[in-house]
Amino acid sequence: MNSAENTALSLEDSLKQLINRGEIEVPMLPEVANRALLLAQNPESDATEMADLIQSDQSLAGHVMRIANSVAYTPLSNLVSLQQGVARLGMTIISEIALAAAIGAKMFNTLGYEDYVSGIWQHALATSLWSKEVARHCRSNVEVAFLAGLLHSIGRPAVLQTILDLANNKNISLTSEQVHQLENSYWHQVSQAVVNKWQMPALVVDAVCAYTDYNSALTAGAQATHIVVGSRFATQMLTPEKLDKETLFALPVLAKLNLYQDDVEKIFEQTEIVKARLAGLSS
Amino acid sequence: MSTIKASYDVLVIGSGPAGQKAAVQAAKAGQVVAIVERDSLFGGACVHRGTIPSKTLRENALRVKYMRQNAALADFELSEATEMVTLIDRLGDVLKSHDRYMRKQIDRNAIDRIHGRASFVDNNTIKITQVDGKTVDINVKKVIIAAGSYPRKPDNIAIDHEHIFDSDSILSMLYLPSSLTVLGGGVIASEYASIFQALGVKVTMIDRYPTPLGFLDSDMTDTFVNAFKAMGGTWMGNQHVEKVYWDGVSEVVTECADGIVVRSQKLLCAAGRLANVDGLHLENAGLALNEKGLISVDENLCTEVDNIYAAGDVIGPPSLASASMEQGRRAACNALGIEIGSMSQLIPAGIYSIPELSSVGLTEKQAGEQYGDIIVGTAKFAEVARGQISGNTEGMLKIVADPQGKKILGVMLAGEGSTEVVHIGQMAMLCDADVDIFVESTFNFPTLAEAYRIAALEILAKRPQ
Repeated sequence: MNSAENTALSLEDSLKQLINRGEIEVPMLPEVANRALLLAQNPESDATEMADLIQSDQSLAGHVMRIANSVAYTPLSNLVSLQQGVARLGMTIISEIALAAAIGAKMFNTLGYEDYVSGIWQHALATSLWSKEVARHCRSNVEVAFLAGLLHSIGRPAVLQTILDLANNKNISLTSEQVHQLENSYWHQVSQAVVNKWQMPALVVDAVCAYTDYNSALTAGAQATHIVVGSRFATQMLTPEKLDKETLFALPVLAKLNLYQDDVEKIFEQTEIVKARLAGLSS
Repeated sequence: MSTIKASYDVLVIGSGPAGQKAAVQAAKAGQVVAIVERDSLFGGACVHRGTIPSKTLRENALRVKYMRQNAALADFELSEATEMVTLIDRLGDVLKSHDRYMRKQIDRNAIDRIHGRASFVDNNTIKITQVDGKTVDINVKKVIIAAGSYPRKPDNIAIDHEHIFDSDSILSMLYLPSSLTVLGGGVIASEYASIFQALGVKVTMIDRYPTPLGFLDSDMTDTFVNAFKAMGGTWMGNQHVEKVYWDGVSEVVTECADGIVVRSQKLLCAAGRLANVDGLHLENAGLALNEKGLISVDENLCTEVDNIYAAGDVIGPPSLASASMEQGRRAACNALGIEIGSMSQLIPAGIYSIPELSSVGLTEKQAGEQYGDIIVGTAKFAEVARGQISGNTEGMLKIVADPQGKKILGVMLAGEGSTEVVHIGQMAMLCDADVDIFVESTFNFPTLAEAYRIAALEILAKRPQ
């Protein structure tokens, strides 16, 4: 074993200790996203409260207005006020937009890996949108699918940041390959820590936990499978060179959801809608 | 799943209550049998989307209702953010044990389980399309169609399974809603409306008929409606729903023809169920659907093609799991020429609303039309010690007798325990016993069965001298 491998192993030990002791630095759920989620879930809240909340964050307000006015959501009208936007799009969609905007890649400090993290986030957004379509087709929970899809890989940027921080503190230089190897080994554990810390609904937590082992999940197996399938659709849409349509349609996981070929085709037909929504959410 | 054979003596399409019993009966008769299920789970909608999930929720709804009723014991309110998953917490265990039991039974009888969609090539050939797209043709001597049903989707209601649900998706809601509109007045609508109301949801039931559950006598439906209203629910009969849409903010809007607008957080559309026959290509076997979209069968459950039988929801009412099981068994016997007695028409109906409702035989209205001056005896659960002890005072039992006050024509109950207690009346009717049997027999005390004696005594008192 050479010294580069030794330093990587010692860093991995430190990373493992942090994870096992629950001391990994999990980002806080941004207040505005948290409050938007609570408002959307509270039957007593109304559009004015949501508009006021969004207004309190100037960049978020601008972001929401841009999306509200995008062709994907309001093809025939021009919204001028935030309250009008909330009224048009609905509390749930606005809370989704707020969550997507507030959580994004900017939450993480991953010097040198910004584009990579941005790609992870783009894929998570696409997964959330596709998971919704898959869940809708299966007559299952659409809200769980969105949240679990969005957060299923949140551990990747979080663990990446920890690895980079540890390397920096220990003055260790890691190759990109070593970084990704560590990321691939521990991202799922960290994803679980994040959704737990953010106190997501039980089904969302269970779905994220079961993501890598949806076949033998005791709870939320179906919800986890929705996001696995959503994630594959996202990969096909964003990087068709990695997963072509034919391979997507032949994935064994589709059978787990009892999706016959015509069912898969029906979901696939939503591609343009998902693309437009993704463009809106990422703008 | 089993390896698919090239031919079978009996092929059953659908693994719900009718399909299972048909397959087991055929296998017990020594036939080579397969059961085809298009879903990856065994058991049909009854197990996974209907009967068992809704009854699991109902058990928790009853607990919540009792805790509210007994404020002295527990000052109880469900939190606003109650997740649905906590209300059907035992569902996974119930389904797993049911699935295990069914699989054991199927395997014990050496029945092949085939996962795929069945379609007729001709009346002796079934094409199986597997979930991965592969197809296999199977030669069959007899076919029993027990494919079940799915929720009807009215043209003017865009069910999105996010704000507007059908009965298959309603339990997938993430949170217990604050308000729910239920469209329909049938069994499914009444069950879910009363269950959610008992959980503290503000429920509005809307239907085109004046009362829900119109096939029951008015005193029974009144008992249901009064109990529903007492819990805080709203019943709106004689309404024509013109439009249903999500307002894009936080509510589903239901617009009625007379201008009434109802707003709620979520909506359940329970507008009946349709036979699950899409994709079966019945025409290739020489079969056509009747005007109701169902498969027509004769008294032997045989279709117009002599090697094809049908049972369960695909042939229409009563569409009860209990009746479907017996239809499935009989369809298999008839297909194989096994002698059986005639099927009893005395099938009890059980409605798992809160409170429960159940009936067997003729209603008071039907009996009056057939027998003229019938005699009716009733007993309120409030008059029965057991009802008082358990706080189950909103129910009643009714016995309908012929004009001589002798022959039992029907028994109806409303109130918790109805679906069990009705069987006493059913057995008396099957034995052709007179009303007197309820007076001359001794039942446990205190039990709800005591209501039979009270109602029977009323009939005896009204007998012509």
